[in-house]
Amino acid sequence: MVRVLLKFRGKTVTQPVTSQVILEQRVPINILAASIDQSGGEILAEIPDQSAQKVIESFKAKGVEVKVGELIVVDKERCVDCGACYSLCPVNAITIDEEYKVNFDGNKCLGSTCGLCVDACPFRAITLVR
Amino acid sequence: MENIRTIEEINDKIRRGDAVVLTAEEMIELVESKGVKVAAKEVDVVTTGTFGAMCSSGAIINLGHSDPPIKIHRAWINDVEVSHPGAAVDLYIGATQMSETRPFEYGGGHVIEDLIRGKEVELRAVAYGTDCYPRTRIETTITKYDLNQFYLLNFRNCYQRYNCATNGSDEIKYTYMGKLYPRYGNATFSGSGELNPLMKDPDYETIGVGTRIFLGGAQGYVIGEGTQHDPKSGFGTIMVRGDAKKMSPEFIRGAAFTKYGTTLYVGIGIPIPILNERLAAKAALKDEEIFTDIVDYGVPRRDRPKLGKVSYKELKSGKITIKDRDVKVSPLSSIRKARVIAETLKRWIEEGTFFLTAPVERLPRDTVFKPMKQIEGPVFLRSIVRPAVTCSEDEDLEAVASKLIENSVNHIVVTGPDGKLTGIVTSWDITKAVAQGITDLRKVITRKVFTALPDETVDVASRRMAQHGISALPIVDSDGRVLGIVTSEDIAKLLGRR
Ligand code: SF4
Ligand code: SF4
Repeated sequence: MVRVLLKFRGKTVTQPVTSQVILEQRVPINILAASIDQSGGEILAEIPDQSAQKVIESFKAKGVEVKVGELIVVDKERCVDCGACYSLCPVNAITIDEEYKVNFDGNKCLGSTCGLCVDACPFRAITLVR
Repeated sequence: MENIRTIEEINDKIRRGDAVVLTAEEMIELVESKGVKVAAKEVDVVTTGTFGAMCSSGAIINLGHSDPPIKIHRAWINDVEVSHPGAAVDLYIGATQMSETRPFEYGGGHVIEDLIRGKEVELRAVAYGTDCYPRTRIETTITKYDLNQFYLLNFRNCYQRYNCATNGSDEIKYTYMGKLYPRYGNATFSGSGELNPLMKDPDYETIGVGTRIFLGGAQGYVIGEGTQHDPKSGFGTIMVRGDAKKMSPEFIRGAAFTKYGTTLYVGIGIPIPILNERLAAKAALKDEEIFTDIVDYGVPRRDRPKLGKVSYKELKSGKITIKDRDVKVSPLSSIRKARVIAETLKRWIEEGTFFLTAPVERLPRDTVFKPMKQIEGPVFLRSIVRPAVTCSEDEDLEAVASKLIENSVNHIVVTGPDGKLTGIVTSWDITKAVAQGITDLRKVITRKVFTALPDETVDVASRRMAQHGISALPIVDSDGRVLGIVTSEDIAKLLGRR
């Protein structure tokens, strides 16, 4: 599965773009999380590997901005492994290992559709990729 | 109990390079496998460590004199006000003092870290001018190399253990114990448990004035008990001093707790000389034997409700049980760094660069931590609540408008037949409705109403109103039945008197 962050702005916000893509491409798209604010909406979705390319193209053609890759960046220089962020994560993307090192699982993190851990970090080490 | 070795003997061994040093975690393993007797015989020193937020920290700096000289009255470094506790050019940088331009993000703790990193900071100061110190303003840049003295001088550090914090209220709380979700959604704790320095010598047999310690990556000293030292409850603290010019940003970090403010993370390690079996046994105290209270920070009072006890073993597992539910718990101290500190201190002693000292005076074991003397006690809402003017959902908008006028109030509380709150209407809502020709009361009722309980304090009510930009709070009982109302005016009058 490929994780993509779909960003809707302007008129793409009000149109059923996601459904259109699912129907046209005949690909199941798994919606993990969604959020909306004044500047537009965001959907975090999972697409099967083999159809990722065409689905992404299809979204782009409909005017949706598509982001693939890291959704969150942790500055390892700033992070002291305090774990303050750990208990805030709703999907267990943050774990503390045997050595008490704090790790972020990019495959689980909901990125900017969540962001709950960001302001819990006393060292401002966590940034969402937007 | 008879001592089996002295600190002088340990120092001789350190000099010869054959002192046996274990970290607290290694000591636990040894005692488990070979017993206390053998461990006491074999081990000379046990090292400890902790790296956590220690708000009552700061640094004293001496700038040297300017020409013409200035007797500083007020001063700022990187826009953080620093205090001038003494004569002309000594300044104390308090960790929690916040930047005037970037409050809640940058503060005294960050200034200290920046100076330790060797960064240049901006100093600005004003003075009233005297015959001997005529200068009234100065603006300059400084680094730690320009300072005469730069000492970390922390008046309360290194709590023996600390509460585990959670939040039983309905609102998210941003506290000095971190971000706490409502309804016991998560929990946080502080301290490193079995690695915690004061926990390993809880009767302070070897710790006191003059104890040499690891402080921020350099050697420092205990200079006495810390403020709020509370040994009888197992909440001992220490006051420490160390040369910040030699410290490392790896072990001293400025930090910011959202909506609480800035602070300083401090790394401390204390060597415990194993002078007898009793000390060996205490140094081997395990996480499962160290307990602390789970405390509800949703209640903003001095004595917050305790919800139970929990061991550091459970806390470090990442999950605890609160009211029969699994709750994720965050450490706020870095246990990884605590380990690094204990290991670093061990290495220093093994390498012969760190020697132990006997305290010239032990930390007190009988002081009590008193609450503040207040001339007035807290004021509860039940003592200022006034009857609310109420209406029901199906009343006429006009009738409600006349109620506002007749009672000369600005808020009408909407209740159901059972007396329970269902909404609120303000004079502004009614005015707007009239202007827009709306006649149906239901259309103007605000349904999401912030309320307060009669046994909450006025300070909490006032903060709640300010946070939500509202001017009154209906007072309800635990079932939501309306008992009255408190307005911001009532509170302003009261607080004005205080
Ligand atoms: S952004 Fe949300 S999902 Fe991602 S790590 Fe932080 S809390 Fe977890
Ligand atoms: S809260 Fe920040 S510093 Fe602490 S472990 Fe998480 S990312 Fe690292």
